[in-house]
Amino acid sequence: MYPFWEVPGFTSALFIALIASFHILPSHLATGAFWFNVFIEQKALKENRPDFLEFIRKYTLLILIFCFVYGSITGVGIWFSATIASPRSLSSLIHNYVWGWATEWVFFVIEIVAIYVYYYTLGKIDVKAHLRIGWIYAWAAWISMIIITGILAFMLSGGKWLVTGGFFDGFFNDTYWPQLFLRTALMCGIAGMYAIIAAGRLEKPETREAIVRLASVWGAIGTLLTVLMSVWFVVKMPQAAKDLGLGAGLPYLKHLLYVAAGGFGAVFLYFLLGISVPKVPGTYSGILMIAVLFAGIFATEGFREGVRRPYIINGYMYGNQIVASDVPGKGIKAELASMKENGFLSSLYFLPDEAKKSSDAGRLAAGRMIALHQCGNCHSFEKNARLRSLPVFLDRIGMTAEEDIAVFLDALEGYAYMPPFAGTDDDKQAAAAWLASICK
Amino acid sequence: MELSQYLSMMRDPAGVPFYPIVFQVLMVLTFCLHILVVNIVVGGSFLALWMRLKGTAESLRLSAALARSNTVGVSVAMVLGVAPLLFVQVIYDPFWYTANTMSAYWALGFLLAIAVAFTCAYIFYLKKDKEKGSNPVWAALSLAGLLVSAFIIHGLSVEQLYPQKWKDWIVAGDSVITHGKGLYLIEPARLLHFIVPSFAVTGVYLMLYAWFFKERKDYQPSYLRFVGELGAKLALYFTVAQVVVGFWWLLTLPHDLFFLSNPFLLLGAGAGLGLLGLLMTSQKDPSENAIKCAIGVLVTVFLMSYAREALRMVYVAKVGYSIFDYKLAVDWGSAVLFFGTFIGGLVVMAYPVLVAVNLARNGSDKNHPHGLGRLAAALPVLWFVLVAGLGIIISLKNGTLF
Repeated sequence: MYPFWEVPGFTSALFIALIASFHILPSHLATGAFWFNVFIEQKALKENRPDFLEFIRKYTLLILIFCFVYGSITGVGIWFSATIASPRSLSSLIHNYVWGWATEWVFFVIEIVAIYVYYYTLGKIDVKAHLRIGWIYAWAAWISMIIITGILAFMLSGGKWLVTGGFFDGFFNDTYWPQLFLRTALMCGIAGMYAIIAAGRLEKPETREAIVRLASVWGAIGTLLTVLMSVWFVVKMPQAAKDLGLGAGLPYLKHLLYVAAGGFGAVFLYFLLGISVPKVPGTYSGILMIAVLFAGIFATEGFREGVRRPYIINGYMYGNQIVASDVPGKGIKAELASMKENGFLSSLYFLPDEAKKSSDAGRLAAGRMIALHQCGNCHSFEKNARLRSLPVFLDRIGMTAEEDIAVFLDALEGYAYMPPFAGTDDDKQAAAAWLASICK
Repeated sequence: MELSQYLSMMRDPAGVPFYPIVFQVLMVLTFCLHILVVNIVVGGSFLALWMRLKGTAESLRLSAALARSNTVGVSVAMVLGVAPLLFVQVIYDPFWYTANTMSAYWALGFLLAIAVAFTCAYIFYLKKDKEKGSNPVWAALSLAGLLVSAFIIHGLSVEQLYPQKWKDWIVAGDSVITHGKGLYLIEPARLLHFIVPSFAVTGVYLMLYAWFFKERKDYQPSYLRFVGELGAKLALYFTVAQVVVGFWWLLTLPHDLFFLSNPFLLLGAGAGLGLLGLLMTSQKDPSENAIKCAIGVLVTVFLMSYAREALRMVYVAKVGYSIFDYKLAVDWGSAVLFFGTFIGGLVVMAYPVLVAVNLARNGSDKNHPHGLGRLAAALPVLWFVLVAGLGIIISLKNGTLF
């Protein structure tokens, strides 16, 4: 196992969740905005509306700064946060999908070249050629979504990859198509909202209202389709994920769905307002609605991540980065059995000498390392922590004594959303001893 | 557990999906492109600030031009940096992940520093006063953000070269340090070897600027001469400084690496000295010699990048690691997808680049490459049709479509 990064009171997993959820806004804007942009530019040409070009300039600058500054940074940020929070799982994804990511990178480069040239040549080159550059950007950006969706969907439903280890078997998995259409619809919704924000800065009221109405139609259709595609996505989820998310498994997941429905519902109503009374929506209300949209996205992402439990890569790797099952096509062996036989400590290079001793202090040192690696990705260990605190949880269920905790660790296999304990009985006792010590 | 055992155990069990040498070449090639743009951004940020503070009409004009170029440059540098970041995780995963988790907050700090640099670069560019220019504080903050990020990424890279010290750094007494707040090693000579070329490369960039715009009527010859001469001087002085720093770095390397006779190093150093000679003869007419010098920079940076990779191979060989004995599980399908896309992507990119170059050089859109444009617009659609078709066939075969 790699060294462990501990985030007291918060957990490293939430770091990724925050950055990844924020990244949805600029990334989906980057993929969706130009379909709206070229639509407006085409309209400007056909209907002889040069006033629309001012919107295009403002909207493209917004995309440039928001997507290619904060979008790029948070995109790389997901990688860095996954690197430090869950290195083995990221390594697994990269070793299977490096060519997928490299292919996506080619489209990133096309995007960045195209958008700068598009922005700086507006009104300076042949109009059809300018529009063509817009189309190139739009396609390249959407293709980058087509690629990354395969890798994200793979994490939820690995499909045949779990046997063959084949790139495309994992890529075009059960939830790939619903997720692709869902994200495509969502990108239209996000693009519509940002278009309203940019249009709010236009000086001429008739131009502003015309764009707001078009953006609202665009956004309303996108939001509506997002909800419909979400239903398809839920239908296609693995059965275990459905049980967890919709059954009695983890009630908070259903609450997330309510938040998502509320968020998207409010956004949809805002778009309807934009269609019927286009002079009302503007920059400030649009920014406020982005916050509402973000709440919906955060909840949806939380649901998608939550139903994957206890895995980080469904069916293959647990959230604590232990390989859960064989992948015959890749010659990969599950690690659980060997850890139960040889002990979890045998997988640790960064181990204090104390942990190798059989004294009480040694047992506690070993127990800390085991608990950190097996629980610490999702749980914090502070008694006063509000988020996912193990001492608080153990106290609540009345199991703070060493013997009780050992029994609890034994029973983990019975929880559908928890990875089983990986280690010998001695490991279990050591982990229980340390967890009991932090409950005092 | 022994260190070599740890390094071997932490390799991904799936193995690498293509020949390691290919990943290595791609890593060095894309890193070279990335670092060239980074150099231009770091040097350009410094010059944008310096020229703004100098305050003459010519220097203010150059400062404004660099302010615009820096915003584009940071974006391009970020995107180009994704590729080597990806490939290093394929072949040097145990080193990359260990160093980053040990110094987790620094890895996050790197992102923060870039965000500051980026934001300030944009403010400096957009918030300008027509007479006085932009507020130099933004340029200074942007430069500071870039230098901090260089410092951090340098620390994270150097930590990877000393796996023998990892345990000393984070295993303390009866506990393992898990706070991720430590940055454990800095090598000033190596760090400077990345910073100093920024000014030399930016110097050549200015020479290219002077050459590129010489046909434009709105660019006075005196202004272009000022830019070209400034660039030539910068390039020469900082290439000399780079030679000195290079020797300093070589002297600080562990002797048991025996790197001084490494052929990659000799090639890189030879190219560097060749570039120095070229720059010395280019001082009289920087604009005319710009292309030759730019080619010299490209070759030198590529060879030096490979020399640094050769140095890493020597470092990790000391602990029994070689990328060439990674478990191989070749996946031809996905490799074809990438290489096909890469070649097609170059054609697509060529179109907007040509349009921009044509417009910037001539100030008009004459001789627009419409044929290339139609091809560039068709290729992504073709890509989509092919991949979607493949996806539908595979999904039907695997029963995952409905």
